[in-house]
Amino acid sequence: MHELSIVEALIDQVGEELDRAGQRGRVLRLELNIGRLSGVHPDAVRFAFGLLSAGTIVENAEIAIEEPRAACQCHACHARTELDDLVFECPHCGAAEVTIEGGREMTLQSIEIED
Amino acid sequence: MKIVAAKKILKANDQLAAENRGEYDAAGVFAVNVVGSPGSGKTTLLEALFAHLKGRIKPAVIEGDIAGSIDADRMERIGVPVVQINTDGACHLDAVMVASANKELDLSAVDLLFVENVGNLVCTAGFDLGEHLRIIVLSTSEGDDKAVKYPAIFQGSHALFITKIDLLPHLNFNVNRINADMKRLAPNAPVFQVSALRGDGIPVAAEWLAVKVAENHR
Repeated sequence: MHELSIVEALIDQVGEELDRAGQRGRVLRLELNIGRLSGVHPDAVRFAFGLLSAGTIVENAEIAIEEPRAACQCHACHARTELDDLVFECPHCGAAEVTIEGGREMTLQSIEIED
Repeated sequence: MKIVAAKKILKANDQLAAENRGEYDAAGVFAVNVVGSPGSGKTTLLEALFAHLKGRIKPAVIEGDIAGSIDADRMERIGVPVVQINTDGACHLDAVMVASANKELDLSAVDLLFVENVGNLVCTAGFDLGEHLRIIVLSTSEGDDKAVKYPAIFQGSHALFITKIDLLPHLNFNVNRINADMKRLAPNAPVFQVSALRGDGIPVAAEWLAVKVAENHR
């Protein structure tokens, strides 16, 4: 359950961003990107957020999670395939000479606050 | 109104990890994050490596465990300076915990620091502690499919130590399979096959580390 410490870091980060922007309004919505190969499960993030947000600046905020896909770049047939899960071979030609790109990001994209 | 952040969620951890690394660099410490399942033989591997390198390197260990000090006691018994971190249930170490453990060590008297992470193949993957290298320890009894099942932790590691290699005759563990999977996940990572209890492969692995420590002093 490393989602707990990730959500803890997220809540601290929202506080820092609000301070930086000089805002005090209630947080309505957070947009996150959690890549499909990041090893972090969106449902576990939502669960941890429910537990940890109580009594904080993000209490009752909606949390919207995008899950960017990874891509498999094949060095044999040069096909580029979007991926939901990790592969070890090119889905097109089966070659093992592939580079997996992206899908591991974990970012706070935006914070929506009450005007 | 909407505030655009577009920042890594673990930015605070990553920043502190960079500070830890800076502290190690200033003191000439080569730091290694040791990850692997509970019971994979991380502590026994460290004992064997220290025995081989005795007198040649100045070691220290930060032990991360959910509770207790069994591993730290083992290090004390062989005379290695050690700091125990109890995570109180957390499934991984983070850069904050390691930063506070660093304060308990005399880093100027250390040239190889192992940070033995909590036994876990999932949660430890995402947290930079400030190490120079991450090594993953996998015992033969865990099975040869672990790299495929837990790719993130293998992908980000710089070397694989296959432990309990003396058990191979009793197991259905295909060394070629894990080698091939590791080659795809971390093409530049060397793979060491060791038995820490019997000593197989320990000299080769220890010398590889000794070279890393020497390079770090240059």
